[in-house]
Amino acid sequence: MAIFRTDALSGLKIDKATENLVRWNVIAALATLAVGGLLGLLVVLTRWPSVHLLPLDYYYRFLTLHGIDALLAWIIFFEIALVHFTSAALLGTRSYVPWLGWLAFALMLAGGAVINVIVLMGGADVMFTSYVPLKGDPLYYLGVILFAVGALLGFIVFFINILLSKRDGGYKRTLPLGAFGMLAASIIAVLTLGHGAAIMIPTWLWSMDLIGTIDPAAYRLVFWGLGHSSQQINVSAMVAVWYMSSAFIIGGKPVNEKLSRTAFVLYILFINVASEHHLLVDPVFSTWHKIVNTSYMMHLAVLASMIHAFAIPASIEVALRKQGHTRGLFEWLKKAPWGNPAFSGMAISILLFGFLGGITGVIFGTEQFNIIRHNTIAITGHFHGTVVAGTTIAFMGFTYLLIQYVFRREIIWKGFATIQPWIYGVGVALLSIGMMSAGSFGVPRRHYDITFSGAPFSFTFDPSIDLFLSMMGVGGVLAVTGGVLYIVLSFGSIIWGKKIEQ
Amino acid sequence: MPQQDHRDIIEAPGVFVLALIFLAVFIVIWFAHLKWLMDVWGVQ
Repeated sequence: MAIFRTDALSGLKIDKATENLVRWNVIAALATLAVGGLLGLLVVLTRWPSVHLLPLDYYYRFLTLHGIDALLAWIIFFEIALVHFTSAALLGTRSYVPWLGWLAFALMLAGGAVINVIVLMGGADVMFTSYVPLKGDPLYYLGVILFAVGALLGFIVFFINILLSKRDGGYKRTLPLGAFGMLAASIIAVLTLGHGAAIMIPTWLWSMDLIGTIDPAAYRLVFWGLGHSSQQINVSAMVAVWYMSSAFIIGGKPVNEKLSRTAFVLYILFINVASEHHLLVDPVFSTWHKIVNTSYMMHLAVLASMIHAFAIPASIEVALRKQGHTRGLFEWLKKAPWGNPAFSGMAISILLFGFLGGITGVIFGTEQFNIIRHNTIAITGHFHGTVVAGTTIAFMGFTYLLIQYVFRREIIWKGFATIQPWIYGVGVALLSIGMMSAGSFGVPRRHYDITFSGAPFSFTFDPSIDLFLSMMGVGGVLAVTGGVLYIVLSFGSIIWGKKIEQ
Repeated sequence: MPQQDHRDIIEAPGVFVLALIFLAVFIVIWFAHLKWLMDVWGVQ
């Protein structure tokens, strides 16, 4: 029997059983971001040449785990929280299979824990990509499979809720736009996790010597169907969060909803081919194959991002103009609620995703340009512009809404909450620009020692890289400061925040 | 009967201007990369 409540702040009708799933997935997301962020600090302090903190083996281990915790676990836990939230609050439907939601959560938690322990114990020094024939501990692959199956089940719960809610008259013709965006993310997730199963299950069997060989080229191709496509789930979920934030905070409605929905469909159709980015210098695939994917089809996905990138600010402008801020071109921008961290988080995310992650993604993803940027730290700068400056800041902003709507707590330390997205945003922007600039001079990504000490041939980079890598280091420290503030504010509000009476 | 005004109205003129700025920045960075290819790495 479903028990609903009507939220006092948002007016949303929320299913209480699903609300608990949202809460625990958010808590798990926060915990994994805390670990991933701390590891990120240690990694950036090692790549900053004047600090060079960690010893060799711990550097590569922590780098691997930073990627897994901050790139996959934090974001996917939050996305599962988002699909439950859109199901419980936007559709106003009950959860038809809450037990499946909890099973999914348990599998993700178990898989994440196994991966963390195995990597820290040195059982998976094969890096994030785990390219065969490098072989890790079978438990590492098992952890990845458990986490992926858990995530898949989480998205399946969303599909079931959508289908049965329609049958029971939960919504009329089509889904609300936020739920539509999360549905697009979920469809991309199924495609992504299918690739993951197709490559990780055989690799797991191979790691136990049950299969003779795995073809390295096939591994690379299918792995990136998982590795990069998972970032496309993030893009779609982030855009859905932008639309929902605009609607919740200032009552923004898309200027042309059909166009926004079409853009989500473009994501589903074309965005997965962006995984070819990683294979642009791979000798196995033909130039024709690479160019068709990254110089033609990818731009249809970019077109979708451009539509969203202007549709959402336009919805904000129209809403604020309706509130009376009509003077000149930009009065609405001045009068926007910049002191609200949920709004500023969304706005900073849109700005940085567009200028840092988006522009560089299109440029670095082009075959001819990629040849000089491939495997340099410029690529790392690009994806910190998308996944961190874009997705993470958007999710941080939305957390401030979830704490009030779902945890029913007021945000503590409002002054700190107001500046948190700004500190984090400036930090990540410096980090990303520093990385991209250093990469322009050929500084490699991932590499522990760019002085190449002990190597048979000497190589010296342009001296300006010291400035750029210092910029990266300062930006990283600032971002971690903003990240710690976010974690403290979120957990502090959940535990000690004043209860919002219903 | 007053004549009906058929002019299009830009609902979000501020974002229209921001879009033009974004386009200009994109073009500048794109061509800066081309110049970088030619000047620093010697690509013809």
